[in-house]
Amino acid sequence: MFGRPEWFGRRKYGGWGLSPKTWQGWAYILVMALPVYAFQALGLNGEGLFALTLAWIAIFILDIIDIMAKLKKDEREKQIESLAERNSAWAMVAVITAGIGYQVSQSIVNNAYSVDMFLFAALIAGALVKGATNAYLERRM
Amino acid sequence: MKTKIAELRRAAGLTQEELAKKADVTRQTIISLEQGRYNPSLKLAYDITKVLGKRHVEDVFEQD
Repeated sequence: MFGRPEWFGRRKYGGWGLSPKTWQGWAYILVMALPVYAFQALGLNGEGLFALTLAWIAIFILDIIDIMAKLKKDEREKQIESLAERNSAWAMVAVITAGIGYQVSQSIVNNAYSVDMFLFAALIAGALVKGATNAYLERRM
Repeated sequence: MKTKIAELRRAAGLTQEELAKKADVTRQTIISLEQGRYNPSLKLAYDITKVLGKRHVEDVFEQD
């Protein structure tokens, strides 16, 4: 779309996303971020401004995803990334499971259901993605 | 796995960056290979052997 993979490197430390590695990468971040501020000066009402800002952010996120999918990685980098993402997934599953356990125990103590369904949805989504990935790769490799 | 990559690379007059470009990997991967910290796939082993001008993978890589 707008950004090019050669302007960025994979973000390895401190979360997910891209790290600009050329001046074009930094210019891209600036150019994509500026409209969000420029929209404020257009004099739109609250709903219009919200919709426009949301649409621009959605385009930005889609472009970032497109760039990340096209980032070139050699076999060693792919292995490192796979292991890092696996460890990250295990950490998230552990915390989500602990969160569900805590909320269930609080529900029992307070005699009132208060478990966040998004936590269950996150675990189910993760399990589905893992199963689908295993099924796909088992056939392909 | 032991390798002779560093020695053969210098003999071929290549920097780590140049070898990395020719083998289509990063310089960091070449460094890891030279220090024996990373075991390459068969494909990468063959590619590096070819870039270094050798005929056999055993001329570049050796099992510990």
